[in-house]
Amino acid sequence: TAGVKIFHFGACRVPMSMTEIRAGFTAIKANIQSRDPIRTLSILSHPHSLHKVKSSDRCCITYQLFTFYVDKVFKHCRTEDSFVNRKISSIANSFLSTRRKLGQCREQNNCMCGEESTEKFKQILANYEGLNVTSAAMKSLGELDILLDWME
Amino acid sequence: SGELYCSLPNPRNVRFESINMKNVLHWSAPEGTGDGVLYKVKYAVYGVGKWIRKPECRNINRTWCDLSSETSDYEDQYYASVKAFLNGACSDWMETTRFNPLTDTKIDPPMVSVSSTDRSISIILTAPEKWKTSPGEESISLLQVYPGLQYNVSVLNKKTKKRWFFSISNNTLVVPWLEPGTAYCVSAQIHVPTPVLDSGFSK
Repeated sequence: TAGVKIFHFGACRVPMSMTEIRAGFTAIKANIQSRDPIRTLSILSHPHSLHKVKSSDRCCITYQLFTFYVDKVFKHCRTEDSFVNRKISSIANSFLSTRRKLGQCREQNNCMCGEESTEKFKQILANYEGLNVTSAAMKSLGELDILLDWME
Repeated sequence: SGELYCSLPNPRNVRFESINMKNVLHWSAPEGTGDGVLYKVKYAVYGVGKWIRKPECRNINRTWCDLSSETSDYEDQYYASVKAFLNGACSDWMETTRFNPLTDTKIDPPMVSVSSTDRSISIILTAPEKWKTSPGEESISLLQVYPGLQYNVSVLNKKTKKRWFFSISNNTLVVPWLEPGTAYCVSAQIHVPTPVLDSGFSK
């Protein structure tokens, strides 16, 4: 289907509507990022960049990140703008279905968690817990392009 | 702290303008200030704790500043900020939105080279290179930056005005079964599916 990208994690194949998610995020990016006044802290990219994750750990950290966004980010990002809210829930639905497929990979043992991805994900949670929930969730949502850039 | 009293109107429309990852900060002069306004610029890597001054853009009277080398790592995102000075007064620092070089750049059309036989045209397309911040820097094709990069090619029969469109991933295309002695116009565009980026069509 147009705009669906297949991500290969070892033997596991995970389709994802990347173009749709990107378009949804681009439409609300300026709005969401303007709600995050903190320049000096990032949830995903500092101090450790996602781009330094070993390829063997990619599946596991992708699963952890999708679980993070589904469980800790989208539900705390309601705004007063219905257009923005609709875009957020559309992205959330896409993440939910991708996370389900990643979960199947995990069950088939194709998604091993190495020490590095465990450490990396701990750092992300620490960055998140360093802020109050709403600020942390909004900052994480504003960094969705960082996650998508890394995945692609 | 010697900080001047900031009563000057602020610089306006502070933003990055980026083409092939040549990332230039632009702004408009504060309203109603006329000549003589000077500016200074600083930038920050998003998520890193400090603002960094740009010495080459300190006390300048132009309204742009090339930050390409400071923002060349497209795995990071950036903010930049401008402050105006005039006759001892200053403005506030005025910031850009968050700048992501990978998704917020524009891409030039590809280079198109054409050769022909009497009944076919062979087209070779070359994607532009990432802007080099210094002559000695290694050339990086935007094809390496955007692995999913594709080309949309248009071939127009100038006599019949009939047009064909092709969408290809590799950079060569042969168009057969053409009419001998007829002029054809070839034009090409770059299309990156995600993040969605489209160049204009080549001349």
